[in-house]
Amino acid sequence: MKPSRLPSPQRVRWAMLVATLLAWELVPRAGWLPELFLPSLSKTLLVLGSDWSIYGSALLITLGEVAISMLIACGGGIALGAIVGGLARLRVLLMPIFSSLYAVPIVILYPVFTAWFGVGPESKIAFAGIYAFFPVMLSTAAGIRTIDPQYLVAARSMGATLSQQVTRVIIPASLPTVFTGLRLGGALAIIGVVVAEMLTAAAGIGYLVTLNRTILDSPRVFAALLMILLLSIAYDIATRKLERRLLSWQPAGRSTIAMRGASSSPTTNVSAA
Amino acid sequence: MTRLRLALSRAALLAAVLLAWDLLPRWEVINPALLPPFGEVMSALWTLLQRPKVHDAIAVTSAEVLVAFIIAIPLGTLLGVLIAEKPYLGAVFKPLLFYVFSIPKSIFLPMFILVFGITFAQKVAYAAFTTTFVVLMSATACVESVKNEYIEVARSYGATRRQLILRVYIPSMLPMLLETIRISMIFNFTGVMIAEMYASRTGIGHLIGSWGENFQMPQLFAGIVLLSAIAILFNESVRWLEERCSNWRT
Amino acid sequence: MQQLADLGDTSGSKPGAIEVRDLSHVYDGVNGQVKALEDISMHVAPGKFTVIVGPSGCGKTSLLMMMAGLRAQTSGELLCHGAPIPQPDPKRVGVVFQEASLYPWLTAVQNVEFPLSLRNDPKTERRERALQMLALVGLEGFADRYPHELSGGMKQRVSIARGLVQDPPVLLMDEPFAALDEQTRMTMGHELLRIWSTTSKTVVFITHSLTEAVYLADEVLVMSARPGRIIDRIAIDLPRPRTYEMMATDKFGGLRERIWQQIRSAH
Repeated sequence: MKPSRLPSPQRVRWAMLVATLLAWELVPRAGWLPELFLPSLSKTLLVLGSDWSIYGSALLITLGEVAISMLIACGGGIALGAIVGGLARLRVLLMPIFSSLYAVPIVILYPVFTAWFGVGPESKIAFAGIYAFFPVMLSTAAGIRTIDPQYLVAARSMGATLSQQVTRVIIPASLPTVFTGLRLGGALAIIGVVVAEMLTAAAGIGYLVTLNRTILDSPRVFAALLMILLLSIAYDIATRKLERRLLSWQPAGRSTIAMRGASSSPTTNVSAA
Repeated sequence: MTRLRLALSRAALLAAVLLAWDLLPRWEVINPALLPPFGEVMSALWTLLQRPKVHDAIAVTSAEVLVAFIIAIPLGTLLGVLIAEKPYLGAVFKPLLFYVFSIPKSIFLPMFILVFGITFAQKVAYAAFTTTFVVLMSATACVESVKNEYIEVARSYGATRRQLILRVYIPSMLPMLLETIRISMIFNFTGVMIAEMYASRTGIGHLIGSWGENFQMPQLFAGIVLLSAIAILFNESVRWLEERCSNWRT
Repeated sequence: MQQLADLGDTSGSKPGAIEVRDLSHVYDGVNGQVKALEDISMHVAPGKFTVIVGPSGCGKTSLLMMMAGLRAQTSGELLCHGAPIPQPDPKRVGVVFQEASLYPWLTAVQNVEFPLSLRNDPKTERRERALQMLALVGLEGFADRYPHELSGGMKQRVSIARGLVQDPPVLLMDEPFAALDEQTRMTMGHELLRIWSTTSKTVVFITHSLTEAVYLADEVLVMSARPGRIIDRIAIDLPRPRTYEMMATDKFGGLRERIWQQIRSAH
């Protein structure tokens, strides 16, 4: 490989980030884009600071909804995924149905939830819970299949009892898959809650976006958008760091066991929203 | 289980679900105001499909879906191939793509509205925007999936660049390309729906939103059934094509 | 198929480490009952290195699994050191599989310790014993490496260490070197003989490689295609310690030939 005179990719990314922030500040100031379309970064941050209590409590509401949806989606999704993935008959019967259903934009179900549960947190939780549920279940079902059955034969040959086989072999072997499920579920729950709050809500960060947009208060809109951006990025970074530390025994790269099993297509585990 | 038995089992499962959907509300086990019986939903659907207002909405939504798709596919493919071909660009941009997928892209919707207003262009632009990323990622994966050995063999026989592309890359990538189209359409459709439900005066998404607001449950469910049917139909057709082209894949 | 006189007597003057008498095994297949093994009788003397060869599907792995207590035969008797073995008994029998089957979330030493930790042996003793075993197989410095950091040959060594950690008198090995490239195979075979010579265990080893069989064994048992029967016992009276040079001798070639003839005629 020729000695690279190009800057390292890391550097380039940081440079792009800095450039974006600078543009965010200078472009509106210089008048190249009206403040309505793009309020300057400083204005956005000022508004965020002055209205901190509003944004803070909205964030808490959103986080609460995310947490509960995650409970439903990951708890149910991982459990069901393990069962469907582990039982060949169920899997063969049901998986094609689920992957057909994947084609339907779940967002069209949201009005049903607002009609049933009203405009409060329940409809968000129900929606985000279901939104995150299926990908987590599919991912877990696929991941469970990657566990080498020889592990159990070896354990038996070493005299492991049934409960030892479960606790000392099956559970550690499933960790990468479970972890992927958690990471995916959380990311999708955040997206689901945000979309729901933007569509029909009375509280939460997404609601603040819509509220301020209708009154054309761009700095406040962008302040809310910035918070959402930071929330999802922070979640992504935190879970990946955690994953690296807990699963340090994996070969290079992220959850290779889980990823290998998860799908042949790179896009099955990502969100459409 | 043989394939026939499997298909029958799934059909039976589906029939059981629909039957429950019909009977449970009728017997008032479930509140029929919240969940109208399947039969009622179907007749509402039938009525709706006769109305010009609904035809218009379907036309608008279809147009948005198509135009966004036509923009996103070439754009995403170009960028994706670029990233696959130039490793440096790949090294810079690939880690970013993972972040892109964790972010709710719907947060950009207000920006599109601010710029375009609530118009056809705004919805198309938003949907194209979200779909491009998926196409990009898939295209990159597609190109990278062509095994080096295939390329080496062809080159050792003196294949020109054009021949390489036509005779090696494209046949090798064909199943994956079809999968890309299938999955991009799912994302595209979702994008259009979100845009229409968020802020729009036209389109099926808008209709569904307003039916929900007005508690017109039979119509709401009819709309959902219609959209689901179209989405699944498209998905399965492309999947069938994919399978026919994939018989050489392990 | 030759009937050989030395197939007959299985009682022997010394009790065998492994005694098999008239063992047959039948299981339910897709199209009815399948006879996997038929009237297997064998006697493995303690401290001997026995190799089993046979065509694919002849049931040799099943037989080994029965010796390990992982599977039960449908008829006949199987004794290990005088007692039947209905369940795995790691104190009597250690098993090494073709895929090392090391647990990727454990380090090398933790993998070797694993059988001891199942019995809740005290930690320090476990660790010491495991490290001893790793040293025996030549991997002292690698105790804290994870399996993904080890080569194929190294993984198998850890697997062997794990099989030996409870000091069982019998070691069963199911094509342990099959997944390795030829050079590594030869090195590992040599290593295995070294380890075996310092521990005087009884080894039953399955392989497809005739060269490996002759190189390693005191005795080679040839099995027929399904239903598996023992059709020949060939004593390998090459001197020990075995050397690579022996592989070039006529005697070595002759023994190989004999095995190959038997297998060919068994199809």
